[in-house]
Amino acid sequence: MITAKNLTVALSGKTIVHGVSLTAKAGELTAIVGPNGSGKTTTMKALAGELPSKGDVTINGHAVGALEPWQLAVKRAVLPQAAAIAFPFTVREIVRMGLTVGPNRHAERIDAITSEALAAVDLSGFAGRFYQELSGGEQQRVQLARVLSQIWDPVLDGEPCFLMLDEPVSALDIRHQLTIMRLARRYCESGGGVIAVMHDLNLTAMFADHMVMMKSGRIARAGAPAEVMTDDAMEAVFGCRMRINSVPASGLPFVLPHTALA
Amino acid sequence: MSLNDAVRGDSARGFSLMRAVQSSAAGDRTAIARLTLAVLVLVSILSLALSIATGASDASAINVIGALFSGAEETALSLRDRIIVVDIRMPRALLGFLIGAALAMSGAVMQGLFRNPLADPGLVGISSGSALGAVLMIVLGASLPAGLMLTLGAFALPLAAFIGGLLTTLLLYRIATRGGQTSVATMLLAGIAIAALAGAVTGILIYIADDKQLRDITFWSLGSLSGMTWAKLFAAGPIILLALLVVPFLSRGLNAITLGEAAAFHMGVKVQRLKYIAVVAVAGAVGASVAVSGGIGFVGIVVPHLLRIVIGPDHRYLLPASALFGGVLMLGADMLARTIVAPAELPIGIITALAGAPFFLWVLLRDRARNGW
Repeated sequence: MITAKNLTVALSGKTIVHGVSLTAKAGELTAIVGPNGSGKTTTMKALAGELPSKGDVTINGHAVGALEPWQLAVKRAVLPQAAAIAFPFTVREIVRMGLTVGPNRHAERIDAITSEALAAVDLSGFAGRFYQELSGGEQQRVQLARVLSQIWDPVLDGEPCFLMLDEPVSALDIRHQLTIMRLARRYCESGGGVIAVMHDLNLTAMFADHMVMMKSGRIARAGAPAEVMTDDAMEAVFGCRMRINSVPASGLPFVLPHTALA
Repeated sequence: MSLNDAVRGDSARGFSLMRAVQSSAAGDRTAIARLTLAVLVLVSILSLALSIATGASDASAINVIGALFSGAEETALSLRDRIIVVDIRMPRALLGFLIGAALAMSGAVMQGLFRNPLADPGLVGISSGSALGAVLMIVLGASLPAGLMLTLGAFALPLAAFIGGLLTTLLLYRIATRGGQTSVATMLLAGIAIAALAGAVTGILIYIADDKQLRDITFWSLGSLSGMTWAKLFAAGPIILLALLVVPFLSRGLNAITLGEAAAFHMGVKVQRLKYIAVVAVAGAVGASVAVSGGIGFVGIVVPHLLRIVIGPDHRYLLPASALFGGVLMLGADMLARTIVAPAELPIGIITALAGAPFFLWVLLRDRARNGW
């Protein structure tokens, strides 16, 4: 379980996140949504232990600030937003970097996990390609395979591991958006946890157990997608008068931009 | 047949060595990296031996070494040969190799640290800072307390160059880094400014230097391996060796930093500590090299770049391979420098610049074509 209590983050003197409290449970996909600049990514970075922050952040009961980088690295892995790489690494070499910490850094496990991780993101056969020559969406999936291999076992020594994904499907086509979201779901079902910063509300409603809606560095709404996604929230948080509908069979909420009222 | 084809597993065009490498999984260059390392170790030993065995004099290294081990009586001739081989060629070959290794590996470390294949101790002003330290010592060393100078002895120049390099690197790092993020553009531009500043101060020192100091500075700044002695080897060698031994422990961290400093932290790397160790090691290695040989440029760019094409950017192999290849190239350039205009010799810095500068331009042009601008 990852918890934040009264989390406040200031970057170069400007407060970006104001007193955020949230809980991300193992076995659940927690999605953070909100308009641009609402502090989603900053919140996630603070949860990852990457930014100095005020307030308490814990992972499985340990204070994140008190853990060494290599201790954190076996409990959570982080998918950053698009990253350029200056050197000609092959896909296999990138994915393998995730396997330099943790219990799987033995030669025979490395090759097996690398192949499985690439298969999981639908990139089997890409191991020998150069990262720099791939498309943006393929690069994003390579990075996800690396992140996945870092905490390949969703539960390690009785403690759940957490995937922290910053806009994991932003560069992907619709088929691979579903592939990746299903992958995240499977990780939760195997006992791990996922925190994802998302922009696509419909995809979020389909896959998230818990939805945190942020505005101006504060949590505006939090709960199950069906509770959080309301006409009222769309206007209050996104400044957009839109109508929320629900899928007849499942009752999951969805929103179409066509319903935006001028 | 390009190496890229081999890496991708294009067996139709592979030659036998590449086929052997392909038997491992696609995209895995471990086998070829190990093979390259083994070849480089052999070539290093050969070039050290060749460098000691050849020169303007016909002194026979085999006879001398034979005599050393057999304890044979020293005739007049063997004494002359012995001085040439043991006191002139050996320290020159060993120190030349170490300097090449130091410069090449420092280049690889800087490039990894700043995530830019064009970062080089020479380009970002570290060499200029070291040079300033060294010139300061040449010109003003005489006015330091005699006791201090006596204690420092041969270490005075390397120490001054090391401090100059370290201060430059720290200043550079300070300027280019904000909130834990290092801006490569700022670093390169700050490097130009720092190099200009160090050059100006060096100029002032040259202005006030007397004739003998001026001669010392001029020959030193051209970059040369001539005049290497065991004393210089013992002064600069340990610093370089220490850096060469420490840096390979940074490999995993440098690999991770390729993905960004945040990503490296996520993967469990203590980024700040890694940066400190890397910066001090680079300043030490470059400072010690500059102190004994002057500015020898472009080794730090050319060597890691060529190796990345063959074995890939994995620092676990790139760092030791750069050190070995840098040493070999330096000895090769030195043999050229000694023979082209024999019995005189060219400053080696001229040769590395003649070969390295066009190479640097080629890399720039190739990247320009690749990036489409």
